[in-house]
Amino acid sequence: MAWRCTLHLRNHLNALITHFHLQPRFTFHNKMPGKHVDQALEQPCRRCKDVSAVLVVRSEPLCRECFFKYVHTKAIKRLESFRVRNANPNHQRTLLLPLSFGVSSVSLLHILDRQLKTQMSKTGRTGFAIHVVHIQIPGDESIITVDELLSKAKEAYPDFKYTSLALHDVFRLTSDATLNDLCPKTNHSETASPPEKLAALINSLTSATARADVLSTLSTRLTVEHAKTSGCEGILWGDTTTKLAEKTLSETAKGRGFSLPWQISDGESPHGVTFNYPMRDVLKKELVSYVDLVGSPVSDLICEPSAIRQASMSSKNTTIDDLMSKYFEEVETNFPSIVSNVVRTTGKLEAVSAPASAPRCDLCSMPVSDGRFGIHGWGGDQQESAERIAIASGPQLCYGCSRSIPQPSK
Amino acid sequence: MAPKPCALCTVNPAAIVRPKDRSALCKPCFFNVFETEIHHTITSTNLFARGERIAIGASGGKDSTVLASVLKTLNERYDYGVELILLSIDEGIKGYRDDSLETVKRNAKEYGMELTILGYKELYGWTMDQVVEQVGKKGNCTYCGVFRRQALDRGAAKLGVKHVVTGHNADDVAETVLMNLLRGDLPRLSRTTSIVTSTPSSVASSSPTDPASHTNIKRSKPLKYAYEKEIVLYALHKNLTYFSTECIYSPEAFRGSARALIKNLERVRPSAILDVVRSGEDMAKLCPGSDEGCGGACGSSTSAIPMAEEEEGGCGSSNGRNAGSEMANMDRQLAQNEAAVENELEVEITFHGRDGTQQKIKKQPKKIKGQAAASVPRKAVTKQVMGKCKKCGYLSSQEVCKACTLLEGLNKNRPKNHIEVGYDAEPENHVRDLAGQVKGLEVGSG
Repeated sequence: MAWRCTLHLRNHLNALITHFHLQPRFTFHNKMPGKHVDQALEQPCRRCKDVSAVLVVRSEPLCRECFFKYVHTKAIKRLESFRVRNANPNHQRTLLLPLSFGVSSVSLLHILDRQLKTQMSKTGRTGFAIHVVHIQIPGDESIITVDELLSKAKEAYPDFKYTSLALHDVFRLTSDATLNDLCPKTNHSETASPPEKLAALINSLTSATARADVLSTLSTRLTVEHAKTSGCEGILWGDTTTKLAEKTLSETAKGRGFSLPWQISDGESPHGVTFNYPMRDVLKKELVSYVDLVGSPVSDLICEPSAIRQASMSSKNTTIDDLMSKYFEEVETNFPSIVSNVVRTTGKLEAVSAPASAPRCDLCSMPVSDGRFGIHGWGGDQQESAERIAIASGPQLCYGCSRSIPQPSK
Repeated sequence: MAPKPCALCTVNPAAIVRPKDRSALCKPCFFNVFETEIHHTITSTNLFARGERIAIGASGGKDSTVLASVLKTLNERYDYGVELILLSIDEGIKGYRDDSLETVKRNAKEYGMELTILGYKELYGWTMDQVVEQVGKKGNCTYCGVFRRQALDRGAAKLGVKHVVTGHNADDVAETVLMNLLRGDLPRLSRTTSIVTSTPSSVASSSPTDPASHTNIKRSKPLKYAYEKEIVLYALHKNLTYFSTECIYSPEAFRGSARALIKNLERVRPSAILDVVRSGEDMAKLCPGSDEGCGGACGSSTSAIPMAEEEEGGCGSSNGRNAGSEMANMDRQLAQNEAAVENELEVEITFHGRDGTQQKIKKQPKKIKGQAAASVPRKAVTKQVMGKCKKCGYLSSQEVCKACTLLEGLNKNRPKNHIEVGYDAEPENHVRDLAGQVKGLEVGSG
């Protein structure tokens, strides 16, 4: 089976090589992601040459089928280590797919479903099994429709196991008590329920950026905890190239440069499960076109918060994440290769090897080398180290998390 | 409405909202906090040594004006025991430097500091106006940038000064971090986040003891953690005179894009500028092969990082592409590389050159129908090997440094019968002449 696959790839490559010199002189910028390009319709597909193209992908006019193949290949190529031949027949490998009902995670769900079906039909078994988890984040207006979407997903892709969790479950599931210590102390904080704790924590934060940051950090932690408790060896994140580039710059802006390699690289994470980003070579705008072209059932499952709040930049509710996603939306339109270059470059950063015993941040759970907790005690901080010692008794937060949850100085 | 009291002294009414953390302070407390922070930066990184003679790279702009003023204050208040002098570079752009140099002269008088103005004309034999006349407005920033980077070092060498401080602020550093992420330049990212950059003698095998060598000059940025907005406020409330102008030649796309992003970030979360700087320092430690990249955080000035053909902010850092097309050009280039890698058409051949430096040649084989593609090993991050320019002796990763290469091109095309007062008879040898002159100078002869 393996050699057939190789042969297929080889043919594919030859086809590419043959047509390499036929590239058109003009470069077309697809200004409206998701809309098909008129010019493309007049040309035959660059790959199969049989059918007329429906869109231009990285200056290559492609037909529907070849575009699907392009997207699938990019995602599946990232999952080579989960091929059937690597699977132990006596032990089914399980991976967790967090489903947010956004374009990326739904597309990934669809692609993996196809891939597993293909594996099954060819070999009678699959390389891995998938658990799907949806995390409900308070503030999503779409909560009512979640159950509906979830049952639609189960119907469309019945081979997977589905779980729905509320974000406050993170207080119930995380093994250590440190998260609880981050919640503001009130009279009855001992007896507070998880939803109350979460609400108290979020309400204590003073900016939209901090709230969004803490929510997404908690969501990641809950996903990790769920992966561990449900026996998944790794997590398949839906992040596209564009999303990873956004994350690179927004985590940099939030002072988390130190943890970037752990946040955007494939492989071992410091959390004890592997992180995989199968969509890392696909641009967001390409997936939007993909969903558009595939149609049902994929398009029925998508529920994205109405295109990023067009609110002005002066708005108090703008977050750093919003800023970056708006920025890369523009860059992606005009300079798609710069987006992938950001991700490729960040991928070259080398994670420091962190022993299991390394001190960790109480919120994001990332190892903090030399215990450099808090925002003090570095060149850019003018407070003397006295404060650092005082802080050592309270929660220990990394630089980035300290910015979101400021600790009162004692 | 009664004015809010200052958050620090709680006595005076607050007059300034601090851009860094939006705290309301009175004027004296703001001055004090601003100065103390810079003092902290200087002492925690052991930036200065007693008895050191330090040249302040002075452009007449807000950053270098504030730097000169604060350093003078701190040197007196905390008795650093350093001698401060001003060093200005005159690019020779009429209407741009003329006025700002007047400002520098006034500052020199006011602060009682010795001032030296060196022109591109003296250093390279060309003013920027002459360069523009010859090469046109497109791409002239390459010349200006390359010349400027060496000019301060050359000037310092001429004065026998071993340490040059520049007015780069936190916004500049943050901007450079984001810009280098966008451009995918990790080595440069890791170098520019460091508070001390230098052209250390350790790389040079020859004459590290030469007192006038311009390859052994320490560069630092004491305002690395100071916000641009606070610098402006400080200058405003201290009534410092500075000259603000944009270069009349051109802007650049990558930095512009990063700058806009930084400004927006600051609006959303004021600490973001400092946070980007912190991220940059931390990422420097994660850059492959950069064990030295401590970003100045390790508190030792011995961790100097080679900085020769580097760009650190402000203008003069474009790669010679004119404004809007810089990003487009890079995008096109990257797209072609991606296609080549994907189609496995690119073969990289590495061999060792005569002088032991690695050279790489990229070959694109003819695309023949049905030809099997050779497999390509993944490209590693190229590590720059620093050597010396064989013409002028300046630190360079190439055999001949950029400035000498550019000068050669300029001089070749210089009109032969152009008559001008003070015209250099042998422009070809100008740089070598300068090197000769520099070697002949005594320490402190400036």
